[in-house]
Amino acid sequence: MEKLYVNEIRPNGDVSTVGLFYSQAEAENIVAQLRGNPDRADCRYEIIEAVRHVLTVKNSRQSQAAAKE
Amino acid sequence: MRGLTPRREQGMADPVLASMVHAAGLETARHYTAATPKIQAYRDSWVKLAPLRDGPVNPTRIEVRDPATMTEQIKAKAMELGATMVGICRLQPHMIDLGEDVPHEFVIVACVAEDYEKVVHGANAVEEEAMRTYAKCTEIATELGIYVRNLGYPARAHHNGGSEVQAIPIFYQVGFGELGRHGSLINEEYGSSFRPGFVTTDLPLVEDHPREFGVQDVCMNCNVCQLNCPGDAIPQDHVITRGIKRWLIDLEKCYPYSRLRDEYCHLCVDVCPYNVKSHPGTYKAFMKERKQVGYKTPKSW
Repeated sequence: MEKLYVNEIRPNGDVSTVGLFYSQAEAENIVAQLRGNPDRADCRYEIIEAVRHVLTVKNSRQSQAAAKE
Repeated sequence: MRGLTPRREQGMADPVLASMVHAAGLETARHYTAATPKIQAYRDSWVKLAPLRDGPVNPTRIEVRDPATMTEQIKAKAMELGATMVGICRLQPHMIDLGEDVPHEFVIVACVAEDYEKVVHGANAVEEEAMRTYAKCTEIATELGIYVRNLGYPARAHHNGGSEVQAIPIFYQVGFGELGRHGSLINEEYGSSFRPGFVTTDLPLVEDHPREFGVQDVCMNCNVCQLNCPGDAIPQDHVITRGIKRWLIDLEKCYPYSRLRDEYCHLCVDVCPYNVKSHPGTYKAFMKERKQVGYKTPKSW
């Protein structure tokens, strides 16, 4: 079964995970509903594969750790 | 106020569960058809109370001169009705289901603690206790909603018989605790062994505030729920939502144990070490039993 995260990206660059979804159609439906909310007009949304998302977070942590060394 | 948080459909309306059930050659989840008459009676009770979620408001509104005194009155009423914990916060869009509109300023949450002792009596005893507690919460939310409407303010009850609000963000905001690795909120006193009912209203009240006591740091290193999950559905890695760590449960791995078997699962919550404080002897006995049968073995296996 497909596993996808929907992320909300705020104008200041903050990323907040909306949830875990199990098909492209399910994730796209959520994004469409969020985009329809005027309170979130300034946010962007991305749908990414769950494994890749976790790897990205890990890579980001490793990069941060390397930068501190 | 329009909601922002997606709610996963429950039961066979959930496309993930529906596809798994149909792939197994079944028409519905075994867990639902295996409900005992007692469990079914509890489920029927909240369906019966659903029409009372909202209703006419007393046209003679009482004046609230001191919201703090009114808050005390509301909390006392909820406790009198049988609540174990009561909290209040200002309703925010992320506390409401995506696409729903709840036109109220505050939300009152009344929780009832479950009897943790049931964990040593098997899966059906745990489920019956959960359903008993949900039924009690439904009664409390319904009665509290009527009480507030009688004061002359709009109020809507939210419970298993119908709801447009999200439990976890409200629990967090009123200071009941922090989100744990197993996906439920962890309270210092009751672990995750409690269930909620809610009332949204415009009655002037005083807010409670978030209270953190290190749960998320403990969950980063504990992993007991993860190590006991029969389906390995609890992830190692977390995501961040509004600055809060969330471990998103993999339903495809959870459902074979929690929905496709006759018995309830609930192991992730039952093995949480935060149950020690309120039930040290029972927790120790339960974990001894888990060790004997194999930590990941489902209940009633």
